[in-house]
Amino acid sequence: MVELTSSFKLEFEVLDKDHQNLADIVDQIVSVIDNGEAEKCPDLVKGFVQSAKAHFAREEALLIKAGYPNVEKHKGHHKGLSTKMDHLIEFANMAGENEMARDSLRKELVFFLMDDVITTDMEFKNFIEDKAKTEDS
Amino acid sequence: MKGLHAVGVYHVYGDNKVLDNASLMIPAGEVVCLLGPSGSGKTTLLRLAAGLERLQRGRIVIDDEIVADKNTHVPPEHRGIGLMFQDYALFPHLNIIDNVTFGLFDQSKDKANHRAMDMLEQLGMTKHAESHPHMLSGGQQQRVALARALAPKPKVLLLDEPFSGLDTNLRGQIREDTLSVLKASGVATIMVTHDPEEAMFMADRIKILGDNGKILQAGRPHEIYYHPRHEFVAKLFGMMNRFEGVVEDGSVEIPLGLIRADSLGEGRKVEVLVRPEGVILEIDGKAGTPVDVVSTHLLGHDNLVRVRLKNDTAGEFQGKELYVRVHHTFEPELSKQITAGLDPEYAFVFPLDEHGSIAGDGFTGSQSQAAE
Repeated sequence: MVELTSSFKLEFEVLDKDHQNLADIVDQIVSVIDNGEAEKCPDLVKGFVQSAKAHFAREEALLIKAGYPNVEKHKGHHKGLSTKMDHLIEFANMAGENEMARDSLRKELVFFLMDDVITTDMEFKNFIEDKAKTEDS
Repeated sequence: MKGLHAVGVYHVYGDNKVLDNASLMIPAGEVVCLLGPSGSGKTTLLRLAAGLERLQRGRIVIDDEIVADKNTHVPPEHRGIGLMFQDYALFPHLNIIDNVTFGLFDQSKDKANHRAMDMLEQLGMTKHAESHPHMLSGGQQQRVALARALAPKPKVLLLDEPFSGLDTNLRGQIREDTLSVLKASGVATIMVTHDPEEAMFMADRIKILGDNGKILQAGRPHEIYYHPRHEFVAKLFGMMNRFEGVVEDGSVEIPLGLIRADSLGEGRKVEVLVRPEGVILEIDGKAGTPVDVVSTHLLGHDNLVRVRLKNDTAGEFQGKELYVRVHHTFEPELSKQITAGLDPEYAFVFPLDEHGSIAGDGFTGSQSQAAE
């Protein structure tokens, strides 16, 4: 189970909620794989990818509004994840019949969410915290 | 979440910034390889995770417990980590069983011996339990070092160039055995290596580090090899054939064929890198550009063929030499015409700026399909 413990929290409610939503979908996908219902993976993974893209768009808009200086770099990172998302969909399409695809899907989903999305988002955590402090004072 | 989580790690030695905002997550049961040149900070990252260096900025969390941040420095022996270095660091005065039980000081002797023998059995080393390290080969010492690192059931295992001291023949088998033991143990593993092939074999995920510990790309071995996003990453996995060209009508033309580059603007100067296995040689072929074979080098399963573009090739590429990797059965017949074509899956396009330097992320020629 993907558990977003404190080290994965940005302390920015909208984005933390997005991350939690993505984690819930990953759990759902892992659960259908474990229950022998991998034929449900394609729809669930499509939903995951759509949610991830919506999260990226929301995050980019928030970072632009907040004046985050490295926003172009972060947008570039999001753009670079499109190949990974294509691969997730490919694995999901094969998951019903192929054990290796199921294993790869499970593994890649966790790395994608925890490493590529959430851990990379941590790069702007300090900026958000500093900005919040400035606004409070 | 179980595993190792490093966030925003900075580290400087004097004026030398070794790590600059490096982050990574390794879930329990997965193997992540840090691959990069000397000085890219990969060993420093390992040492910080282990607690052998004090963290200057950032946070390191193991199994949801903060082990290092601005206020915390949990000493190495309390982090639940296993360490294995390239020189194995076995105690020469202790026999093998005592080496393996060394980290099990909090257990009864019987229990520690039982655990150590269990680990030695997994690694096929029980018959050497009473031997001393100097009586063992390099490969056997490596297995003992792994048994010792895993005996205390660490949460995270840190491997620093663990196979570099082994000869080539032995390395393959020991890598395979090590991976099998790591997967059975369920431990989160970081392995530092400068050997791309080793990383491809071992890793669930490879992280490529560039200067200052900047993570240039992270992904499955397949993704890193077939979809490198940086010139540096593409070149890391061996020799490349390099061309320069300009995007015209959404494609860039090199002597081997056309590659779609429609995501780059018209008139954009680009670099095209083609892996040797991406050059397709044909004897008496109708398509492709004619080449002369300069030399062949048998590498076992493959043949590395050096070819030269014939002088009737257009413009700047006349006489250019290319490396081609083909099956060992390919034997060029000198009396017949040989042509070279392109497999776009092995071709990567990177935009150049006006000075000829890389100016952004690249993409694979196959991503937008080869032009007819």
